[in-house]
Amino acid sequence: MKEIQIRLSGTGGQGLQLSAKMLAESLIQEGCQIAQSQSYEPTSRGGLSRADLVIGDEIPDYPLVTNLSALLIMDQLAAHASTDLIQPGGLVITDSKRVEDPPKGDFNLHALPLTETALKLGSARVANIIALGAMITLRDICKPAALESAVRRNAPRAFLELNIEALKTGFEMATKLS
Amino acid sequence: MSIKYQNLQGNHACALGAIAAGCRFFAGYPITPSSEIAERMSLELPKHEGVFIQMEDEIASMGAILGASMGGVKAMTATSGPGFSLKQENIGYAAGAEIPCVIANVMRGGPSTGMPTRPAQSDLMQARWGSHGGHPLIVITPGSVREIFDETVRAFQLSEKIRTPVIVLYDEVLGHLVETLPLSGAAHKITERKWADESPETFMPYAETTDLIPPMPRPGDGYRTHTTGLTHAEDGFPTQNPETVVKAMKRMLDKFELHQSEIESYETVCCEDAEVLVMTVGISARAAKHAVKTARQEGIKAGLFRPITLWPFPEKAFKKIISKVKTVVVPEMNTGQLSLEMERLCPKKTKIKSINRIDGEAIAPKEILSLLQSVAKK
Repeated sequence: MKEIQIRLSGTGGQGLQLSAKMLAESLIQEGCQIAQSQSYEPTSRGGLSRADLVIGDEIPDYPLVTNLSALLIMDQLAAHASTDLIQPGGLVITDSKRVEDPPKGDFNLHALPLTETALKLGSARVANIIALGAMITLRDICKPAALESAVRRNAPRAFLELNIEALKTGFEMATKLS
Repeated sequence: MSIKYQNLQGNHACALGAIAAGCRFFAGYPITPSSEIAERMSLELPKHEGVFIQMEDEIASMGAILGASMGGVKAMTATSGPGFSLKQENIGYAAGAEIPCVIANVMRGGPSTGMPTRPAQSDLMQARWGSHGGHPLIVITPGSVREIFDETVRAFQLSEKIRTPVIVLYDEVLGHLVETLPLSGAAHKITERKWADESPETFMPYAETTDLIPPMPRPGDGYRTHTTGLTHAEDGFPTQNPETVVKAMKRMLDKFELHQSEIESYETVCCEDAEVLVMTVGISARAAKHAVKTARQEGIKAGLFRPITLWPFPEKAFKKIISKVKTVVVPEMNTGQLSLEMERLCPKKTKIKSINRIDGEAIAPKEILSLLQSVAKK
């Protein structure tokens, strides 16, 4: 397969690292190898946070992202931090509520109501899961069933059903667009 | 049978490597970006009848692993920047008293508290020379999650066999990097320390043996022994007799020379006909490998020399390669530490070009590639 590079960005506490972990777990089930890296600030909440994945048939020589196929922006703080890395025609998903000034350039931008929809489902904390569902539908990164089983393994038990509902909402949100 | 894979983080690989090597004691004080090593050890050690202690600070942690090691158990600690500074005096004690132990240092931006969550490679010299008194030790710089596992195993093997502290040194990027690895049930060679088995009456704890490694007295075996940070004679007691001091120091230093072939480890990429050679470690070496392969596709005679054992530096292997090289490129996330070693080792005619970053970002392959391209044009 051709190498795919993904970045999930926003602020600390939005569940980006866990989202990348779940996506990475789904990908090894499909026979891919990944390099997952992260960047965060020394605060437990807030600050620029990003989780990156390089996906291919084998572990890349250089494991950090240089050319993004897909980028998620969950907060205005992260809006312009990765623009230079987006490949032409790449997928960019932003949270329509939290990103008022999205990046501009030669890429496919989708401003989606991630936080708004999450609040309607019951908690803003599942906005990351809606985003994951939408991203893999728009960019065909992994099979929905593989991601669903990763979410089932990693979501807190008390919120499992909410997370699964959020994931399916994400799939539907993207299907309507495409 | 298809191989099963797992995604593993660098720091977890360090902890699992330690367990696989037979480590059964960990004392530490959590510090970003090394904390996952302690966290994983606190989960793994109880399953293996081992002991995990969170100590009051880094000095005490280092002291605790030396006590555990002298008690006969393979022991390690893990830390970063400020904590590594605090451990230095006891690392020197371990070197002087020849106590096996493994110290992982995950490098972050500095100086002082610096940038706890950002990567750096600024402890390359501190790892070698951080303690006082001209002590020998081994520093290993792995370059991937897989290698952190394997090299932590090797760190214990060398430490136990050669009776020395071994430092496993890598940057925050590799510490927090998750990579896919085959799930392996392969057993790793657990190196047993050479224990004293002679008569307790004639036992000398620092005797000059043919391999220059004195056997250690196992607690409970009936040996009377004395361990001190003071310069000691073969009987373990302090001495300042010039001849005895020089003899003891010489044995300790020669020990590393004698076992150099086992200590030495490095990777070469396209070095056979290289005219421009990149020399670096850790995440910078991952960028360099990518840059060298790309440069080769463009017809540039580039190569990579990557020390896996950084100290003692794999000098003999490097000198064989360097004779044909016109330019050495040294990318490192500090203001120029490895480039000093290159100035020492390269012939005068060799040009040395540095790429330095101290902004908490990794050096990208394109930064190295563009320097390789400009060198090739000249």
